[in-house]
Amino acid sequence: MKKIALYIFFSTLALVLFAVSLRTGIVQIHTSLWHLLTHHSGTDATTVWQIRFPRAFGAALIGAGLGIAGAIAQGIFRNPLAEPTLIGLSSGATLGTIAVISSGAAAYGSRTNAASAILFAVIAALLVQLLAPNKGYGFLLTGIAISAILTALAGILISISPKPGIQSLSFWNFGSLALLNNGTVKIIAPFLEVGFISAFFVSRKLDAYSLGETSSHYIGINPKRLRLIAIISMAFLIGASVSAVGSIAFLGLLVPHIVRLLVGPAHRTMLSFSAIIGATLLLLADLLARTLFQPHEIPLGLITSLIGALALIILLRTQKSQWVAND
Amino acid sequence: MIEIKNLSFSYGKKQVFNDFSTLISNNFATLLGGPNGSGKTTLLQLIGGVQKPDSGSIMINGHDIAKLKTHEQAELRSIAPQRRIFELPFTVQQIFAIIKPKRRAAHAEDVFEALDLYDLFPLKVTELSLGQQQRVSVALALIQSAEYYLLDEPLSAQDSAYTQKLLDLITLLSKTTGILVISHNTGHLAQYFDESIYLS
Repeated sequence: MKKIALYIFFSTLALVLFAVSLRTGIVQIHTSLWHLLTHHSGTDATTVWQIRFPRAFGAALIGAGLGIAGAIAQGIFRNPLAEPTLIGLSSGATLGTIAVISSGAAAYGSRTNAASAILFAVIAALLVQLLAPNKGYGFLLTGIAISAILTALAGILISISPKPGIQSLSFWNFGSLALLNNGTVKIIAPFLEVGFISAFFVSRKLDAYSLGETSSHYIGINPKRLRLIAIISMAFLIGASVSAVGSIAFLGLLVPHIVRLLVGPAHRTMLSFSAIIGATLLLLADLLARTLFQPHEIPLGLITSLIGALALIILLRTQKSQWVAND
Repeated sequence: MIEIKNLSFSYGKKQVFNDFSTLISNNFATLLGGPNGSGKTTLLQLIGGVQKPDSGSIMINGHDIAKLKTHEQAELRSIAPQRRIFELPFTVQQIFAIIKPKRRAAHAEDVFEALDLYDLFPLKVTELSLGQQQRVSVALALIQSAEYYLLDEPLSAQDSAYTQKLLDLITLLSKTTGILVISHNTGHLAQYFDESIYLS
Protein backbone atom coordinates (compact mmCIF):
# COMPACT_ATOMS: atom_id res chain seq x y z
CA MET A 1 0.00 0.00 0.00
CA LYS A 2 2.73 2.41 1.03
CA LYS A 3 4.53 1.63 -2.23
CA ILE A 4 1.46 2.29 -4.38
CA ALA A 5 0.80 5.57 -2.58
CA LEU A 6 4.42 6.62 -3.05
CA TYR A 7 4.30 5.70 -6.71
CA ILE A 8 1.15 7.73 -7.26
CA PHE A 9 2.71 10.64 -5.38
CA PHE A 10 5.86 10.71 -7.53
CA SER A 11 3.94 10.16 -10.77
CA THR A 12 1.71 13.11 -9.93
CA LEU A 13 4.72 15.22 -8.99
CA ALA A 14 6.39 14.35 -12.32
CA LEU A 15 3.23 15.27 -14.23
CA VAL A 16 2.92 18.59 -12.40
CA LEU A 17 6.58 19.42 -13.07
CA PHE A 18 6.05 18.42 -16.69
CA ALA A 19 3.13 20.84 -17.03
CA VAL A 20 5.04 23.61 -15.25
CA SER A 21 7.98 23.02 -17.62
CA LEU A 22 5.66 23.53 -20.60
CA ARG A 23 4.32 26.79 -19.16
CA THR A 24 7.58 28.25 -17.91
CA GLY A 25 10.22 30.06 -19.93
CA ILE A 26 11.39 33.40 -21.21
CA VAL A 27 8.49 33.62 -23.64
CA GLN A 28 5.18 34.11 -21.84
CA ILE A 29 2.40 31.71 -22.78
CA HIS A 30 -1.04 33.28 -22.85
CA THR A 31 -3.08 30.28 -23.91
CA SER A 32 -3.98 27.50 -21.47
CA LEU A 33 -2.20 24.16 -21.87
CA TRP A 34 -5.58 22.51 -22.05
CA HIS A 35 -6.46 24.60 -25.10
CA LEU A 36 -3.07 23.95 -26.68
CA LEU A 37 -3.58 20.21 -26.32
CA THR A 38 -6.05 20.31 -29.18
CA HIS A 39 -4.87 23.44 -31.04
CA HIS A 40 -1.46 23.14 -32.63
CA SER A 41 -1.19 26.48 -34.43
CA GLY A 42 -0.07 29.92 -33.30
CA THR A 43 3.12 31.10 -31.59
CA ASP A 44 2.13 29.75 -28.18
CA ALA A 45 1.55 26.31 -29.68
CA THR A 46 4.90 26.42 -31.47
CA THR A 47 6.72 27.45 -28.28
CA VAL A 48 5.09 24.70 -26.25
CA TRP A 49 5.08 21.83 -28.75
CA GLN A 50 8.26 22.49 -30.73
CA ILE A 51 10.55 23.81 -28.01
CA ARG A 52 9.34 23.02 -24.50
CA PHE A 53 7.59 19.70 -25.01
CA PRO A 54 10.59 17.82 -26.46
CA ARG A 55 12.78 19.29 -23.75
CA ALA A 56 10.44 18.24 -20.91
CA PHE A 57 9.67 14.87 -22.47
CA GLY A 58 13.38 14.28 -23.07
CA ALA A 59 14.13 15.29 -19.47
CA ALA A 60 11.62 12.73 -18.19
CA LEU A 61 12.95 9.95 -20.43
CA ILE A 62 16.61 10.68 -19.74
CA GLY A 63 16.00 11.14 -16.00
CA ALA A 64 14.27 7.76 -15.89
CA GLY A 65 17.15 6.23 -17.82
CA LEU A 66 19.82 7.70 -15.53
CA GLY A 67 17.93 6.56 -12.43
CA ILE A 68 17.60 3.02 -13.76
CA ALA A 69 21.22 2.90 -14.94
CA GLY A 70 22.33 3.97 -11.46
CA ALA A 71 20.25 1.25 -9.80
CA ILE A 72 21.62 -1.40 -12.16
CA ALA A 73 25.20 -0.18 -11.70
CA GLN A 74 25.04 -0.37 -7.90
CA GLY A 75 23.40 -3.79 -8.10
CA ILE A 76 25.65 -5.40 -10.66
CA PHE A 77 28.91 -4.10 -9.17
CA ARG A 78 27.62 -4.64 -5.63
CA ASN A 79 28.96 -1.25 -4.75
CA PRO A 80 26.98 1.70 -3.38
CA LEU A 81 29.34 4.10 -5.16
CA ALA A 82 29.17 2.53 -8.60
CA GLU A 83 27.73 5.09 -10.94
CA PRO A 84 27.75 5.34 -14.73
CA THR A 85 30.00 8.42 -14.64
CA LEU A 86 32.47 6.69 -12.30
CA ILE A 87 32.80 3.44 -14.22
CA GLY A 88 33.65 4.75 -17.66
CA LEU A 89 30.22 4.57 -19.28
CA SER A 90 29.59 8.32 -19.52
CA SER A 91 33.06 9.33 -20.63
CA GLY A 92 33.08 6.46 -23.13
CA ALA A 93 29.79 7.74 -24.50
CA THR A 94 31.14 11.29 -24.65
CA LEU A 95 34.19 10.19 -26.60
CA GLY A 96 31.98 8.11 -28.91
CA THR A 97 29.80 11.13 -29.60
CA ILE A 98 32.67 13.53 -30.18
CA ALA A 99 34.61 11.04 -32.31
CA VAL A 100 31.84 10.76 -34.89
CA ILE A 101 30.98 14.46 -34.87
CA SER A 102 34.58 15.67 -35.12
CA SER A 103 35.47 13.20 -37.86
CA GLY A 104 32.44 14.37 -39.77
CA ALA A 105 31.03 10.83 -39.86
CA ALA A 106 27.74 11.95 -38.37
CA ALA A 107 25.97 15.04 -37.11
CA TYR A 108 24.91 15.78 -33.55
CA GLY A 109 21.54 14.20 -32.80
CA SER A 110 21.80 11.58 -35.53
CA ARG A 111 21.21 7.86 -35.11
CA THR A 112 24.89 7.14 -35.88
CA ASN A 113 25.88 9.55 -33.13
CA ALA A 114 23.77 7.71 -30.54
CA ALA A 115 24.93 4.28 -31.74
CA SER A 116 28.57 5.31 -31.55
CA ALA A 117 28.09 6.68 -28.02
CA ILE A 118 26.56 3.36 -26.95
CA LEU A 119 29.34 1.31 -28.53
CA PHE A 120 32.09 3.39 -26.90
CA ALA A 121 30.28 3.20 -23.56
CA VAL A 122 30.26 -0.62 -23.73
CA ILE A 123 33.95 -0.72 -24.66
CA ALA A 124 34.91 1.70 -21.88
CA ALA A 125 32.98 -0.28 -19.25
CA LEU A 126 34.51 -3.57 -20.39
CA LEU A 127 37.96 -1.99 -20.33
CA VAL A 128 37.45 -0.84 -16.74
CA GLN A 129 36.38 -4.38 -15.78
CA LEU A 130 39.35 -5.89 -17.55
CA LEU A 131 41.91 -3.57 -15.95
CA ALA A 132 40.46 -3.36 -12.44
CA PRO A 133 42.63 -5.26 -9.93
CA ASN A 134 39.69 -5.95 -7.61
CA LYS A 135 35.97 -5.28 -7.30
CA GLY A 136 36.03 -2.69 -4.54
CA TYR A 137 38.10 0.49 -4.54
CA GLY A 138 40.38 -0.86 -7.25
CA PHE A 139 37.40 -1.06 -9.57
CA LEU A 140 36.20 2.46 -8.82
CA LEU A 141 39.67 3.97 -9.07
CA THR A 142 40.24 2.22 -12.41
CA GLY A 143 36.90 3.64 -13.53
CA ILE A 144 37.94 7.14 -12.52
CA ALA A 145 41.30 6.77 -14.29
CA ILE A 146 39.77 5.44 -17.52
CA SER A 147 37.13 8.18 -17.39
CA ALA A 148 39.83 10.82 -17.08
CA ILE A 149 41.72 9.40 -20.06
CA LEU A 150 38.62 9.21 -22.25
CA THR A 151 37.50 12.71 -21.29
CA ALA A 152 40.98 14.05 -22.07
CA LEU A 153 40.87 12.34 -25.49
CA ALA A 154 37.45 13.86 -26.12
CA GLY A 155 38.78 17.30 -25.16
CA ILE A 156 41.73 16.91 -27.53
CA LEU A 157 39.41 15.95 -30.39
CA ILE A 158 37.27 19.02 -29.74
CA SER A 159 40.33 21.29 -29.72
CA ILE A 160 41.91 20.00 -32.91
CA SER A 161 38.76 19.58 -34.92
CA PRO A 162 36.36 22.45 -34.32
CA LYS A 163 33.32 21.34 -36.30
CA PRO A 164 30.11 23.34 -36.10
CA GLY A 165 27.73 21.72 -33.64
CA ILE A 166 30.43 19.91 -31.71
CA GLN A 167 29.83 22.08 -28.60
CA SER A 168 32.32 22.80 -25.87
CA LEU A 169 33.78 20.19 -23.51
CA SER A 170 31.83 21.78 -20.68
CA PHE A 171 28.57 21.14 -22.56
CA TRP A 172 29.42 17.42 -22.63
CA ASN A 173 30.83 17.28 -19.11
CA PHE A 174 28.07 19.18 -17.34
CA GLY A 175 25.15 18.29 -19.53
CA SER A 176 22.42 20.50 -20.90
CA LEU A 177 18.99 19.86 -22.32
CA ALA A 178 19.13 23.08 -24.36
CA LEU A 179 19.64 21.30 -27.69
CA LEU A 180 16.83 18.75 -27.28
CA ASN A 181 14.25 19.00 -30.03
CA ASN A 182 11.59 16.67 -31.37
CA GLY A 183 14.05 15.15 -33.85
CA THR A 184 16.69 14.31 -31.23
CA VAL A 185 14.13 12.87 -28.82
CA LYS A 186 12.71 10.67 -31.57
CA ILE A 187 16.23 9.40 -32.35
CA ILE A 188 17.21 8.53 -28.77
CA ALA A 189 13.84 7.22 -27.54
CA PRO A 190 14.09 3.75 -29.17
CA PHE A 191 17.64 3.31 -27.81
CA LEU A 192 16.45 4.24 -24.33
CA GLU A 193 13.59 1.79 -24.71
CA VAL A 194 16.03 -1.05 -25.41
CA GLY A 195 17.84 0.02 -22.24
CA PHE A 196 14.63 0.08 -20.16
CA ILE A 197 13.50 -3.37 -21.28
CA SER A 198 16.88 -5.05 -20.83
CA ALA A 199 17.29 -3.36 -17.44
CA PHE A 200 14.06 -4.91 -16.18
CA PHE A 201 15.27 -8.28 -17.43
CA VAL A 202 18.52 -7.83 -15.48
CA SER A 203 16.76 -6.57 -12.36
CA ARG A 204 14.89 -9.87 -11.89
CA LYS A 205 18.21 -11.52 -11.16
CA LEU A 206 19.94 -8.81 -9.16
CA ASP A 207 18.45 -9.82 -5.81
CA ALA A 208 20.01 -13.27 -6.12
CA TYR A 209 23.21 -11.74 -7.51
CA SER A 210 23.54 -9.46 -4.47
CA LEU A 211 24.38 -12.49 -2.29
CA GLY A 212 27.67 -12.95 -4.16
CA GLU A 213 28.89 -14.37 -7.45
CA THR A 214 29.46 -17.93 -6.28
CA SER A 215 26.10 -17.93 -4.52
CA SER A 216 24.32 -16.66 -7.63
CA HIS A 217 26.03 -19.26 -9.80
CA TYR A 218 24.83 -21.97 -7.41
CA ILE A 219 21.29 -20.57 -7.62
CA GLY A 220 21.43 -20.91 -11.41
CA ILE A 221 22.47 -17.48 -12.66
CA ASN A 222 25.49 -17.10 -14.91
CA PRO A 223 27.20 -14.06 -13.34
CA LYS A 224 29.44 -13.22 -16.30
CA ARG A 225 26.52 -13.23 -18.68
CA LEU A 226 24.38 -11.16 -16.33
CA ARG A 227 27.15 -8.58 -15.98
CA LEU A 228 27.57 -8.32 -19.74
CA ILE A 229 23.83 -7.81 -20.29
CA ALA A 230 23.79 -5.23 -17.50
CA ILE A 231 26.67 -3.31 -19.06
CA ILE A 232 25.00 -3.32 -22.48
CA SER A 233 21.73 -2.24 -20.92
CA MET A 234 23.40 0.66 -19.06
CA ALA A 235 25.33 1.60 -22.21
CA PHE A 236 22.06 1.98 -24.13
CA LEU A 237 20.64 4.21 -21.39
CA ILE A 238 23.77 6.28 -20.81
CA GLY A 239 25.00 6.31 -24.41
CA ALA A 240 21.69 7.51 -25.84
CA SER A 241 21.33 10.28 -23.28
CA VAL A 242 24.96 11.44 -23.38
CA SER A 243 24.82 11.64 -27.18
CA ALA A 244 21.98 14.15 -26.85
CA VAL A 245 22.54 16.04 -23.61
CA GLY A 246 26.04 15.24 -22.33
CA SER A 247 26.73 13.54 -19.01
CA ILE A 248 24.60 14.64 -16.12
CA ALA A 249 26.33 14.17 -12.80
CA PHE A 250 25.07 12.63 -9.57
CA LEU A 251 21.57 11.64 -10.63
CA GLY A 252 22.53 8.02 -11.22
CA LEU A 253 24.33 7.90 -7.89
CA LEU A 254 21.69 9.66 -5.82
CA VAL A 255 18.44 8.18 -7.12
CA PRO A 256 19.03 4.53 -6.05
CA HIS A 257 19.97 5.67 -2.55
CA ILE A 258 16.71 7.63 -2.21
CA VAL A 259 14.75 4.71 -3.63
CA ARG A 260 16.32 2.11 -1.33
CA LEU A 261 15.44 4.32 1.60
CA LEU A 262 11.81 4.61 0.47
CA VAL A 263 10.97 1.10 -0.75
CA GLY A 264 13.83 -1.19 0.31
CA PRO A 265 16.45 -3.02 -1.72
CA ALA A 266 14.38 -5.43 -3.90
CA HIS A 267 15.61 -4.59 -7.37
CA ARG A 268 12.44 -4.94 -9.40
CA THR A 269 10.60 -2.47 -7.21
CA MET A 270 13.70 -0.30 -7.07
CA LEU A 271 13.84 -0.04 -10.82
CA SER A 272 10.33 1.30 -11.36
CA PHE A 273 10.85 3.81 -8.56
CA SER A 274 14.28 4.80 -9.85
CA ALA A 275 12.64 5.57 -13.20
CA ILE A 276 9.91 7.79 -11.81
CA ILE A 277 12.13 9.55 -9.25
CA GLY A 278 14.90 10.03 -11.82
CA ALA A 279 12.38 11.61 -14.19
CA THR A 280 11.01 13.85 -11.44
CA LEU A 281 14.44 15.05 -10.34
CA LEU A 282 15.67 15.80 -13.84
CA LEU A 283 12.50 17.73 -14.69
CA LEU A 284 12.99 19.72 -11.49
CA ALA A 285 16.70 20.30 -12.12
CA ASP A 286 16.10 21.48 -15.69
CA LEU A 287 13.33 23.79 -14.55
CA LEU A 288 15.72 25.32 -12.00
CA ALA A 289 18.52 25.56 -14.57
CA ARG A 290 16.24 27.51 -16.88
CA THR A 291 14.54 29.79 -14.36
CA LEU A 292 16.85 30.47 -11.40
CA PHE A 293 18.89 33.17 -13.12
CA GLN A 294 16.63 34.08 -16.01
CA PRO A 295 17.42 35.08 -18.71
CA HIS A 296 20.68 33.15 -18.17
CA GLU A 297 20.50 29.41 -18.32
CA ILE A 298 22.98 27.58 -16.12
CA PRO A 299 24.36 24.16 -17.12
CA LEU A 300 22.07 21.44 -15.85
CA GLY A 301 24.92 19.37 -14.44
CA LEU A 302 25.76 22.18 -12.02
CA ILE A 303 22.26 21.99 -10.55
CA THR A 304 22.30 18.19 -10.31
CA SER A 305 25.78 18.33 -8.75
CA LEU A 306 24.73 20.92 -6.19
CA ILE A 307 21.48 19.28 -5.16
CA GLY A 308 22.63 15.74 -5.74
CA ALA A 309 25.89 15.93 -3.84
CA LEU A 310 24.31 17.73 -0.88
CA ALA A 311 21.44 15.27 -0.73
CA LEU A 312 23.87 12.38 -0.95
CA ILE A 313 25.95 13.64 1.99
CA ILE A 314 22.80 13.97 4.09
CA LEU A 315 21.56 10.52 3.05
CA LEU A 316 24.87 8.86 3.78
CA ARG A 317 25.08 10.43 7.22
CA THR A 318 21.53 9.60 8.28
CA GLN A 319 21.15 6.16 6.71
CA LYS A 320 24.27 4.26 7.60
CA SER A 321 22.48 0.94 7.64
CA GLN A 322 21.24 0.98 4.06
CA TRP A 323 24.26 -0.74 2.63
CA VAL A 324 26.33 -2.80 5.03
CA ALA A 325 29.74 -3.39 3.53
CA ASN A 326 31.06 -6.63 4.97
CA ASP A 327 33.20 -7.68 2.09
CA MET B 1 24.73 -40.60 -8.16
CA ILE B 2 27.43 -37.95 -8.38
CA GLU B 3 30.30 -39.58 -10.17
CA ILE B 4 33.72 -37.97 -9.98
CA LYS B 5 36.18 -39.62 -12.31
CA ASN B 6 39.97 -39.08 -12.58
CA LEU B 7 39.64 -35.49 -11.44
CA SER B 8 42.73 -33.29 -11.52
CA PHE B 9 42.73 -29.67 -10.50
CA SER B 10 45.33 -27.16 -9.41
CA TYR B 11 45.46 -23.53 -8.37
CA GLY B 12 48.51 -22.32 -10.26
CA LYS B 13 51.28 -24.68 -9.16
CA LYS B 14 49.45 -26.04 -6.15
CA GLN B 15 47.88 -29.35 -7.09
CA VAL B 16 44.66 -29.90 -5.13
CA PHE B 17 43.36 -33.04 -6.85
CA ASN B 18 45.39 -35.60 -8.74
CA ASP B 19 43.43 -38.33 -10.48
CA PHE B 20 40.78 -38.28 -7.77
CA SER B 21 37.67 -40.47 -8.12
CA THR B 22 34.69 -40.95 -5.83
CA LEU B 23 30.97 -41.63 -5.83
CA ILE B 24 28.32 -39.76 -3.87
CA SER B 25 25.10 -41.74 -3.57
CA ASN B 26 21.56 -40.48 -3.76
CA ASN B 27 19.13 -41.05 -0.89
CA PHE B 28 22.15 -40.93 1.34
CA ALA B 29 23.80 -38.48 3.71
CA THR B 30 27.52 -38.17 3.05
CA LEU B 31 30.02 -36.39 5.23
CA LEU B 32 33.02 -34.84 3.50
CA GLY B 33 35.84 -34.26 5.94
CA GLY B 34 39.51 -33.34 5.92
CA PRO B 35 41.88 -30.75 7.32
CA ASN B 36 41.93 -27.09 6.24
CA GLY B 37 43.24 -26.72 2.74
CA SER B 38 42.58 -30.32 1.77
CA GLY B 39 40.25 -29.23 -1.04
CA LYS B 40 36.77 -29.74 0.44
CA THR B 41 35.43 -26.39 -0.70
CA THR B 42 37.28 -26.71 -4.02
CA LEU B 43 35.56 -30.05 -4.63
CA LEU B 44 32.22 -28.37 -4.02
CA GLN B 45 33.13 -25.58 -6.43
CA LEU B 46 34.08 -28.17 -9.03
CA ILE B 47 30.81 -30.05 -8.59
CA GLY B 48 28.99 -26.70 -8.60
CA GLY B 49 30.62 -25.64 -11.86
CA VAL B 50 32.30 -22.53 -10.42
CA GLN B 51 35.73 -24.08 -11.03
CA LYS B 52 36.57 -26.16 -14.10
CA PRO B 53 38.67 -29.33 -13.70
CA ASP B 54 42.04 -29.52 -15.50
CA SER B 55 41.08 -33.05 -16.49
CA GLY B 56 38.57 -35.70 -15.51
CA SER B 57 34.80 -35.50 -15.39
CA ILE B 58 31.95 -34.89 -12.98
CA MET B 59 28.59 -36.45 -13.74
CA ILE B 60 25.40 -35.80 -11.78
CA ASN B 61 22.78 -38.50 -12.41
CA GLY B 62 24.37 -39.22 -15.76
CA HIS B 63 24.71 -35.57 -16.88
CA ASP B 64 28.20 -34.25 -17.53
CA ILE B 65 28.11 -30.89 -15.78
CA ALA B 66 30.67 -29.39 -18.16
CA LYS B 67 27.98 -29.61 -20.84
CA LEU B 68 25.16 -28.05 -18.81
CA LYS B 69 24.10 -24.39 -18.66
CA THR B 70 24.21 -22.68 -15.26
CA HIS B 71 20.45 -22.93 -14.72
CA GLU B 72 20.41 -26.59 -15.80
CA GLN B 73 23.09 -27.37 -13.21
CA ALA B 74 20.96 -25.65 -10.58
CA GLU B 75 18.07 -28.02 -11.29
CA LEU B 76 20.26 -31.03 -10.46
CA ARG B 77 22.02 -29.79 -7.35
CA SER B 78 21.62 -27.03 -4.82
CA ILE B 79 24.62 -25.71 -2.91
CA ALA B 80 25.02 -23.64 0.23
CA PRO B 81 28.39 -21.90 -0.06
CA GLN B 82 30.42 -21.33 3.07
CA ARG B 83 29.48 -17.68 2.97
CA ARG B 84 26.88 -15.55 1.30
CA ILE B 85 27.11 -11.79 1.18
CA PHE B 86 24.37 -10.07 3.14
CA GLU B 87 24.95 -6.38 2.47
CA LEU B 88 21.57 -5.10 1.42
CA PRO B 89 18.78 -4.78 3.99
CA PHE B 90 16.47 -7.42 2.54
CA THR B 91 14.01 -9.02 4.92
CA VAL B 92 14.56 -12.74 5.44
CA GLN B 93 11.29 -13.33 3.58
CA GLN B 94 12.63 -11.38 0.58
CA ILE B 95 15.78 -13.50 0.64
CA PHE B 96 13.72 -16.69 0.39
CA ALA B 97 11.60 -15.10 -2.36
CA ILE B 98 14.75 -15.18 -4.53
CA ILE B 99 13.79 -18.81 -5.18
CA LYS B 100 10.77 -18.55 -7.47
CA PRO B 101 7.73 -20.74 -6.62
CA LYS B 102 8.31 -23.12 -9.54
CA ARG B 103 11.88 -23.75 -8.37
CA ARG B 104 10.84 -24.35 -4.79
CA ALA B 105 11.16 -27.82 -3.23
CA ALA B 106 8.09 -29.58 -1.79
CA HIS B 107 9.87 -29.79 1.57
CA ALA B 108 10.48 -26.02 1.82
CA GLU B 109 7.96 -25.56 4.66
CA ASP B 110 9.61 -28.37 6.62
CA VAL B 111 12.95 -26.57 6.35
CA PHE B 112 11.49 -23.28 7.64
CA GLU B 113 9.79 -25.16 10.44
CA ALA B 114 12.79 -27.25 11.47
CA LEU B 115 15.18 -24.31 11.64
CA ASP B 116 12.69 -21.90 13.32
CA LEU B 117 12.91 -19.50 10.40
CA TYR B 118 9.32 -18.22 10.37
CA ASP B 119 10.20 -16.00 13.34
CA LEU B 120 12.98 -14.40 11.31
CA PHE B 121 10.86 -13.68 8.18
CA PRO B 122 10.10 -10.00 8.95
CA LEU B 123 13.64 -9.19 10.15
CA LYS B 124 16.37 -7.59 8.08
CA VAL B 125 19.02 -10.10 7.14
CA THR B 126 21.76 -7.52 7.74
CA GLU B 127 20.72 -7.26 11.39
CA LEU B 128 20.81 -10.98 12.17
CA SER B 129 23.52 -12.74 14.18
CA LEU B 130 26.12 -14.76 12.31
CA GLY B 131 24.44 -18.03 13.33
CA GLN B 132 21.03 -16.78 12.14
CA GLN B 133 22.51 -15.64 8.83
CA GLN B 134 24.05 -19.07 8.40
CA ARG B 135 20.69 -20.76 8.98
CA VAL B 136 19.11 -18.46 6.37
CA SER B 137 21.92 -19.24 3.94
CA VAL B 138 21.68 -23.02 4.42
CA ALA B 139 17.88 -22.91 4.20
CA LEU B 140 18.11 -20.91 0.95
CA ALA B 141 19.93 -23.88 -0.56
CA LEU B 142 17.62 -26.48 0.97
CA ILE B 143 14.36 -24.92 -0.28
CA GLN B 144 15.41 -25.15 -3.94
CA SER B 145 14.14 -28.20 -5.73
CA ALA B 146 17.13 -30.39 -6.63
CA GLU B 147 18.32 -33.98 -6.56
CA TYR B 148 21.39 -33.27 -4.42
CA TYR B 149 22.06 -30.81 -1.64
CA LEU B 150 25.65 -29.88 -0.95
CA LEU B 151 26.32 -27.84 2.18
CA ASP B 152 29.68 -26.22 2.90
CA GLU B 153 30.32 -26.03 6.67
CA PRO B 154 26.63 -25.50 7.53
CA LEU B 155 27.24 -26.01 11.25
CA SER B 156 30.27 -23.79 11.87
CA ALA B 157 28.30 -20.96 13.53
CA GLN B 158 25.54 -23.03 15.18
CA ASP B 159 25.07 -23.72 18.88
CA SER B 160 24.45 -27.30 20.00
CA ALA B 161 20.64 -26.98 19.81
CA TYR B 162 20.65 -25.85 16.18
CA THR B 163 23.43 -28.26 15.28
CA GLN B 164 21.10 -31.06 16.42
CA LYS B 165 18.09 -29.57 14.58
CA LEU B 166 20.06 -29.27 11.36
CA LEU B 167 21.44 -32.82 11.67
CA ASP B 168 17.90 -34.14 12.19
CA LEU B 169 16.73 -32.21 9.14
CA ILE B 170 19.60 -33.62 7.08
CA THR B 171 18.69 -37.16 8.18
CA LEU B 172 15.07 -36.53 7.19
CA LEU B 173 15.89 -35.04 3.77
CA SER B 174 18.45 -37.74 2.97
CA LYS B 175 15.63 -40.29 2.79
CA THR B 176 14.49 -38.76 -0.48
CA THR B 177 17.52 -36.85 -1.79
CA GLY B 178 21.31 -37.02 -1.76
CA ILE B 179 23.03 -34.78 0.78
CA LEU B 180 26.70 -33.97 1.13
CA VAL B 181 27.91 -32.01 4.14
CA ILE B 182 31.38 -30.54 4.45
CA SER B 183 32.88 -30.29 7.89
CA HIS B 184 36.44 -30.08 9.15
CA ASN B 185 35.17 -31.44 12.44
CA THR B 186 34.10 -34.92 11.43
CA GLY B 187 34.77 -36.99 14.53
CA HIS B 188 31.51 -36.74 16.43
CA LEU B 189 29.40 -36.06 13.32
CA ALA B 190 30.13 -39.32 11.52
CA GLN B 191 27.41 -41.20 13.44
CA TYR B 192 24.71 -39.04 11.77
CA PHE B 193 25.83 -39.90 8.24
CA ASP B 194 25.55 -42.97 6.06
CA GLU B 195 29.02 -42.53 4.64
CA SER B 196 32.15 -40.44 5.08
CA ILE B 197 34.70 -39.28 2.54
CA TYR B 198 37.97 -38.03 3.94
CA LEU B 199 40.28 -35.79 1.93
CA SER B 200 43.87 -35.55 3.07
